[in-house]
Amino acid sequence: MLKRHGVLPGFSITLGFTVLYLSLIVLIPLSATFLKAATLGWTGFWNAITEPRVLASYKLTFGASLAGALINAGFGLLVAWVLVRYEFFGKKLIDALVDLPFALPTAVAGISLATLYSGKGWAGQFFTPLGIKIAYTPLGVVVALTFIGLPFVVRTVQPILEDFEAELEEAAASLGATRWQTFSRVILPALLPALLTGFALAFARAVGEYGSVIFIAGNIPMVSEITPLLIITKLEQYDYAGATALAVSMLLVSFVLLLSINALQRWSQLRRT
Amino acid sequence: MSITIRNIQKSFGQFKALKNINLEIGAGELVALLGPSGCGKTTLLRIIAGLETPDTGVILFHGENTTHMHVRDRHVGFVFQHYALFRHMTVFENIAFGLRVRPKETRPSDAEIRRKVHDLLNLVQLDWLADRYPAQLSGGQRQRIALARALAVEPKVLLLDEPFGALDAKVRKELRRWLRRLHDELHITSVFVTHDQEEALEVADRVVVLNEGQIEQIGTPDEVYDHPATPFVYQFLGDVNLFHGRVHEGQARIGDVQLELPGSPERRDSAVFYARPHEIDILREPDGQAAIAAQIIDIRALGATVRVELERQDDHGIVEVEMSRDQFNSKDLDRGESVYLQPKRLRVFAERNGEENLGSAA
Repeated sequence: MLKRHGVLPGFSITLGFTVLYLSLIVLIPLSATFLKAATLGWTGFWNAITEPRVLASYKLTFGASLAGALINAGFGLLVAWVLVRYEFFGKKLIDALVDLPFALPTAVAGISLATLYSGKGWAGQFFTPLGIKIAYTPLGVVVALTFIGLPFVVRTVQPILEDFEAELEEAAASLGATRWQTFSRVILPALLPALLTGFALAFARAVGEYGSVIFIAGNIPMVSEITPLLIITKLEQYDYAGATALAVSMLLVSFVLLLSINALQRWSQLRRT
Repeated sequence: MSITIRNIQKSFGQFKALKNINLEIGAGELVALLGPSGCGKTTLLRIIAGLETPDTGVILFHGENTTHMHVRDRHVGFVFQHYALFRHMTVFENIAFGLRVRPKETRPSDAEIRRKVHDLLNLVQLDWLADRYPAQLSGGQRQRIALARALAVEPKVLLLDEPFGALDAKVRKELRRWLRRLHDELHITSVFVTHDQEEALEVADRVVVLNEGQIEQIGTPDEVYDHPATPFVYQFLGDVNLFHGRVHEGQARIGDVQLELPGSPERRDSAVFYARPHEIDILREPDGQAAIAAQIIDIRALGATVRVELERQDDHGIVEVEMSRDQFNSKDLDRGESVYLQPKRLRVFAERNGEENLGSAA
């Protein structure tokens, strides 16, 4: 029995509520997934999750998510930097625009991206002469996943950057550091934990994304088919156990990846206490 | 390295932070910029450092114009009030930072950096903290590390912005003596900003008193304390009692009281006389006309000194008198007692125009 005599009241009731809430919303549905998947038996499960078509979809889902999250880490940092450091006309508007990928129905995002980046689309036409096809290829998947992940990095980095003491930069400059040295050795390490959080969130969101991707991906088996789509396909064929097997495998991989990002974050924060 | 400051002006919007500042700082000097908050002292320090650019005027380092030189090329060591240590680096790496960011041609070798950092850590007497992170240090330790970091680049000028402002009283006292000793050892031209007159008087070779963006007085600690040039300096450098009166035939007249005021033949119908709390005697019996009747309303013992608060019987103004504990014991004063005040020393400045110094009574 946990007993605390701290100054904060209501430990048991808040903990109880948290556990109940998490059980109802997260744990019970997830364990149901595991139970359903277990009906396949070991071999059935293994066969379901190692089908070539499924393996290809993992590669695309996790690869494109990683690529999208990495792009977002870079450009999200840039956007946050611009929004915090500079004053310009329309700053408030751009600041609000950043949240749009959160609010927009993902299907709308997918359809507009697919139209824009198709061979004859507004943006796609510039890539066609270069021999680059974006829509209906894995590249399109990366574009969609970048789009939906952007706010995570911007919104996690922005407050840290806002609180960053100007004195630290002045100290670095007075010690002879160039602007780049100040950025890479003083500012970036301070932002790193937030950047990692944003990266992890963007990545997690991208792995589970469905709506926007299926419109731009083209969904060609072995090429541009994401795992969530395979799950849906299996559901439509009433193969519930097979669908949950894929879900379980994704769940485990995502969990391990997020756990390692967390560990990385821990490590980068440990160095400053 | 001497510093010359010529006709410096700086405004922030409508606010004039600095109004035509001229100042000469000799090589190897330790100078305090002293003033209340908002007087422009930090702005002046930041302009010297190159962290702020003046609207007009020039800064010369050893005769060389550095007004438009970037802070990174000025070779100044800057110490911030809140330390500004890099949190993600160890103490060692903090101090080594200035050496590691040098261009390849002038960057010392790793072994040399290690030797140098340890020398500096020894200098600030914190060698055992090399592997800690700033968050693990006390305020006083952090500020010493910040100082070591600033010294690592062998600055020609050391600038300190309220270096002890964030520390508690005891550590502050310790550190300022330590800074003084360090300066005597290194002889590096140093300027520090403070709002604490005690700190300025104790540490600095010379004190520059600033008020509302202007220099009120420049002088040694003794000069500014004993011969304040303006009423502001007088009031800022310690507690003070004001007596309103007039000057007549070389005598100060405060109410019905007449006091000799040599060196002041001029007649003045309205004047303010200044006396520090320790410059007033408390008498049991009136001494001719040269004493002001007052009643003791409070007695407070503050360590070695005793502070007596009195109310004047003529105009009910409050007067503070300070004396040593021994003096107080020998006088045997009580609350509520009626006594007489006799200023041992009075200063008078012309009213409104602080520039004119009329004289003082000894």
